[in-house]
Amino acid sequence: MSAVIEAVNLTHLYGEKTLFETAAIKNIDLAVENGEFLGIIGHTGSGKSTLIQHFNGLLKPTTGKILLDGKDIAESKESIRAARFKVGLCFQYPEYQLFEETVYKDIAFGPKNMGLDDDETDRRVRRAARFVGLSDSYLKKSPFDLSGGEKRRAAIAGVIAMEPEALILDEPAAGLDPRGRDMILSFIKEYRQETGRTVILVSHSMDDIAKLATKVLVMNKGEVAMIGTVDEIFSRSEELFKMGLNVPQVTKIFLGLKEKGVPVRTDIYTNEQGCRELLRVFGRSVKE
Amino acid sequence: MIRDITIGQYLPGKSALHKMDPRVKIIVTFAFIIVIFMCKNFWSLGLMVLFTALCTILAGVPMRMMLKSLRPVMVILVFTGILNIFYTSGGNKLLEFWKITVTDKGIYTAVFMIVRIVCLIAGSSLLTYTTTPTMLTDAIERILSPLKVFKIQVHTLAMMMTLALRFIPTLIEEIERIMNAQKARGADLESGGFIKRAKALIPILIPLFISAFRRAYELAFAMECRCYRGGEGRTRMKQMKVKATDIVASAVTAALLGAVIFLNIYFKPVIG
Repeated sequence: MSAVIEAVNLTHLYGEKTLFETAAIKNIDLAVENGEFLGIIGHTGSGKSTLIQHFNGLLKPTTGKILLDGKDIAESKESIRAARFKVGLCFQYPEYQLFEETVYKDIAFGPKNMGLDDDETDRRVRRAARFVGLSDSYLKKSPFDLSGGEKRRAAIAGVIAMEPEALILDEPAAGLDPRGRDMILSFIKEYRQETGRTVILVSHSMDDIAKLATKVLVMNKGEVAMIGTVDEIFSRSEELFKMGLNVPQVTKIFLGLKEKGVPVRTDIYTNEQGCRELLRVFGRSVKE
Repeated sequence: MIRDITIGQYLPGKSALHKMDPRVKIIVTFAFIIVIFMCKNFWSLGLMVLFTALCTILAGVPMRMMLKSLRPVMVILVFTGILNIFYTSGGNKLLEFWKITVTDKGIYTAVFMIVRIVCLIAGSSLLTYTTTPTMLTDAIERILSPLKVFKIQVHTLAMMMTLALRFIPTLIEEIERIMNAQKARGADLESGGFIKRAKALIPILIPLFISAFRRAYELAFAMECRCYRGGEGRTRMKQMKVKATDIVASAVTAALLGAVIFLNIYFKPVIG
């Protein structure tokens, strides 16, 4: 595996040389491997958003650099622009960026900016719309006639349509009802399975991260607090609690059971694992 | 970038100037401006410069910020200077070539005018540096309240001003967010000719307008939910009271007025 995105000693200061100078992120070294599903968790204001805005060149590092496929993205104007298409960044509440007359045109905005011809644009728009579960009848509608969840999906499709090497989603399910959430998370999973491309998901939901991610990055006060597999991270529950973070709900249940003296394992991070573990411990006694 | 635009350039602080009643502050600032225009020679103007400098130090406004507030009027300053040097007649000739003559009186006048404008801007900047925009509009409402007699809805106007000011930072944030989102989709805002750039603004302006209208509706509903019915019979959370500092400030300004009149009579005027 090779790294798609690398951060080398990355620091970003806000309000440089003023009284309000604060380091949003400091001394970050990080490598995102090709095809990886990286989950980023961290407190509000821990620097998650600042970090991901460096990945596509929206923010310039104060010191340090970002490498895309081994090349510094700040090299030239062209390389910064290329980074925008290589790394698709979808912000929080992306539905507020919709502006075109039709959903189709809005999804086509990214591919058009890339300078693709009409046929390729059309193929990408339809493919992206299919990923997010918007049927052809939606494409002709005005984006402002859609429901909240549909708008969100149309906006995410606008980023997917650029077919970026790495897709970054900042809280894609925030503020949606449970069905909307499930829908978004399941199409992200399908998208990754089908394309095999890198996905980075910023989320406050430990459950979602545990379910989807192959690697987890924990940010705290602008620094990388931990990085590792789901098991490695969520087994350190004490440290996570101290940072004001959490473990998946199912893990909490098993931690509680253990505390009450039930002989269960606590390295349970998804509902499926939990189900199996419960059957393992109680299965026999239920039968008897 | 966009954040550098300073509107409502309040600098938080605890100085006597910050604590003054904003109504008195506005009136005193007006008086200050009038007094500056009354100055006729360098003695009286020097006194005003001294006073402005003292106030700046008292308010704890850094020199850098003061200079920053002068930057927008730089062109006017240079223009005033040049015009006055070349177009003032009379006095001793210092330089003469072709149709242009420079006299000592011209130079004096130019310097005088520039110092006067600098003083003016610095003095009025002090008002905005030490008063929050909301306090300012509140005070303006109070000062203009006699206009109610003429059926002018002073409260509504003041409320509109407050709301407009309040939403400037919010909208700037919104613009930045939308710009970033569109840039992330490859929108090119920085290159191309005028028409291309104007067209590039559409993906930013449409979402901005939509969200501005949404915010306006939400705000109106929120205000109605709290039974806002306009200014009638409305009391205030922050009562304005004239305190000792305000009386001292008014007295100092009055004394300045007296001193300037005295200096004007006692010394020869620079300008007519």
